[in-house]
Amino acid sequence: MAPITGPSHLVNSLASPAHLETSASQLDGVPKDLEDSIRFETSRLLQATGILLRLPQEIIAQSIVVLSRFWSGADGMSLLECDAVDAAAAALYLTAKPSATPLSPRSLLTVLEYTSTVSPHYSQASTGASEPQWSLSEGSYETARDRLYATEAQLLRTLGFQTHVALPHALCINYLQTLQVFKAPSSDGSALAKRAIKLLNTALLSPQQLFLTHQPPALATAAIYLAVREEGVNLPDVEWWEVFDVDREELGFLVVALTSVEGFAEREREVWGDRKVPLTVGEVRAEIERRTMLEEGE
Amino acid sequence: MALAAPPPAGMTDPTQRRFRGAARISEYEVMKEKLGEGTFGVVSKGVSKRSGKVFALKKILMHNEKDGFPITALREVKLLKMLSHPNILRLEEMAVERQSADDKGKNGKKRATLYMVSPYADHDLSGMLTNPDIRFQESQIKCYMQQLLEGLRYLHDSHILHRDMKAANILISNTGVLQIADFGLARHYEGPTPQPGKGNGEAVRDYTSLVVTRWYRPPELLLTLKKYTPAIDMWGVGCVFGEMFERKPILEGRTDVDQCVRIFKLVGSPNESNMPGWSSLPGCEGHKEWEQRKGDIDQRFGQHLKPEGLDLLKSLLCLDYKKRVNAIDALQHPYFKTAPLPARPEDLPRYQDSHELDARRRGQEKKMNLPPAPAGGTVGMGPDEWNPQGGPYGGNGYHNGPNYPRDRGPPRRYDDRRGPPPPDSSRQPHWRQDRDNRARMPPAANGHGLPPPPADLPRRPDMRNGPPPPPGSRGPPAGGPNVDTYIPSYAGGRGSREGSYRDPDAVPPPPSRGYRDDPYRERERERGPLPGYDRARRTRSRSPEQEDMRRARLQNRERDFYGR
Repeated sequence: MAPITGPSHLVNSLASPAHLETSASQLDGVPKDLEDSIRFETSRLLQATGILLRLPQEIIAQSIVVLSRFWSGADGMSLLECDAVDAAAAALYLTAKPSATPLSPRSLLTVLEYTSTVSPHYSQASTGASEPQWSLSEGSYETARDRLYATEAQLLRTLGFQTHVALPHALCINYLQTLQVFKAPSSDGSALAKRAIKLLNTALLSPQQLFLTHQPPALATAAIYLAVREEGVNLPDVEWWEVFDVDREELGFLVVALTSVEGFAEREREVWGDRKVPLTVGEVRAEIERRTMLEEGE
Repeated sequence: MALAAPPPAGMTDPTQRRFRGAARISEYEVMKEKLGEGTFGVVSKGVSKRSGKVFALKKILMHNEKDGFPITALREVKLLKMLSHPNILRLEEMAVERQSADDKGKNGKKRATLYMVSPYADHDLSGMLTNPDIRFQESQIKCYMQQLLEGLRYLHDSHILHRDMKAANILISNTGVLQIADFGLARHYEGPTPQPGKGNGEAVRDYTSLVVTRWYRPPELLLTLKKYTPAIDMWGVGCVFGEMFERKPILEGRTDVDQCVRIFKLVGSPNESNMPGWSSLPGCEGHKEWEQRKGDIDQRFGQHLKPEGLDLLKSLLCLDYKKRVNAIDALQHPYFKTAPLPARPEDLPRYQDSHELDARRRGQEKKMNLPPAPAGGTVGMGPDEWNPQGGPYGGNGYHNGPNYPRDRGPPRRYDDRRGPPPPDSSRQPHWRQDRDNRARMPPAANGHGLPPPPADLPRRPDMRNGPPPPPGSRGPPAGGPNVDTYIPSYAGGRGSREGSYRDPDAVPPPPSRGYRDDPYRERERERGPLPGYDRARRTRSRSPEQEDMRRARLQNRERDFYGR
């Protein structure tokens, strides 16, 4: 892509290779796969919580990106320093705060308490298949709220106050319009658009941190490319993605990354089963210890 | 597995920081010189250890926060991070005071102290205009106006409404560069940006009309238009333009209604031809009828301005916000192309030296720290589920947490602060305001942020009632604790300063007094017997950061609202 010179609403601060290389959690001794699991699980938690809070997907997506920035790089935050669930709460709270749909700490923490108990079977709870037991007493609310504010400050500090997140979703629709998929009589443009948006939301869960490595135009283009293939829509038989400043190589990488999320999610389900992914410092420590003991036992 | 420690704090290479923007406060040498104080805390001068440059460090204290990190600061930081223009004050970075490893604590009560780091500016326009020793040439005014419009053109083109245009928010450096500061009320604008020759466009949605400091508030906001456009900032530019000639705010309304009256006196009362659609607006606090007037702008400014200048002023102070000139067109106005041509910033006189010497010479005599205009709007309001009765436009912003019992009315004496003007000057030395203040009034609600309704809110006292009382007579305000409740008391903000710095002849305030006194006390200190031009200088051209902080203090009380 062309270098970005001026400030813009449409671009993101990206992670440098040095920051993708390692993370504070890994330096602290958290295994990479455990870290990926926790990131994946917190993203799902945020998505479920956001839906229950009736937040726009925009806010939910931004909070997931903010959260993944928080954990990234050696000077990011470590999973052994900050509870993952607290960080997720703070990310959502902070993202919603200046938006048109701010959250009160109480509604956020109450819903989060609920989703945490439902975890990892979010969809079951929504269909009423499981009846979770949960409550948030006044005392624990107050403690949680104080922790929320503290984590929020920590989050801001770690991000260097860079809370702006540009999303590819609107851009994606824009590109589809440019490609005239909504006008062509034969193709179902809205099905295509829905598929592309779903892919973008899936990309949020990718362990490859796609939102930290690629700018929105590239993500939008890749989602369209894949959606077109999956929906069987015909697009001009030219390298149309070049119009959106995405080259073949970048597109190829993103398409592979997007398609791999499903496999990753499947593996996660197999590995964890009904077990809860550790979302607090204590649980992460216990999990590391458990693994060490298993290794020693063998 | 070997546990590697996280990298030590100081060792991260700043150029490698990923989301660059947060430094540690240890990278700055915070100087003793304070530029101001406010709710969030102190504004200090600081020197970067990395570059040796001087900065203004605005401290954001994180205690007593009802909703975590202040929404106004959050929004300001977010906007400033997106902007880059020579005429917009830059946010260099945020500096964080690192706390000990266990700062999370059990209850998380302890929070980091944050500083907003921006370049140090020598003056603000309001301070310069109240300084009798600084006289602007017309070419200089043109130069400032050009820069101001340039900055605003950029802002509007970037879809941002400033919403608090006023002289105090315009910083001027000694190299003649003007910068727009204070984005605490700014917000993203969703309508189309102004195009050449097409005015300021049409708004596509509602925003809160409770914005802009009253004296600079345009008529459409006073008449409660919610679908407003960048034209609201242009009105402020017109006010500032006029202010540069009259050397004081040109429309000093005491209430919102009074503000309307003054506006209509200047530019004529609204009718369907000069302000189409005005009669369908909700009106100003219920007032919809206005005395028919013709407007005396020609007489009032004809003496200062040639026809071109007068025409520019009128097109900025145009009642019809749809016809009001936009920044792009204003820059093309003949005013900037006729003699005397605008000066180049680098050719403008520098004031620093005269500034300091002068301050020393004048010493205790005159302090021109005119507190700025009174009421502005509340910080905008969004859906506020904590406050259902506030509704989407949240009442008057006068309710808040238990720390902020400010919904009580102003003291009864409020109205008599506008006595007859003294014969010599319409401005009072600051110290006079100060004392009168203590004796009679709640503190200046300077900055802005006082919401317009109710109309008789306390605002900056305009002390015109003769000489100050002797020092000994100064004491706690006659209103006692009543007036104090007006400003929230912030724990920790003042304790250490008490006593050691205070004016020796000041009567100690009752312990219940709020934080609000501090700016005043701060200035008393400046008047103190200690030599030191720095401190004295500060009082001459009021620090913009100080200004910021005052504003912030007011906004602080309203932070449970979200801007729209």
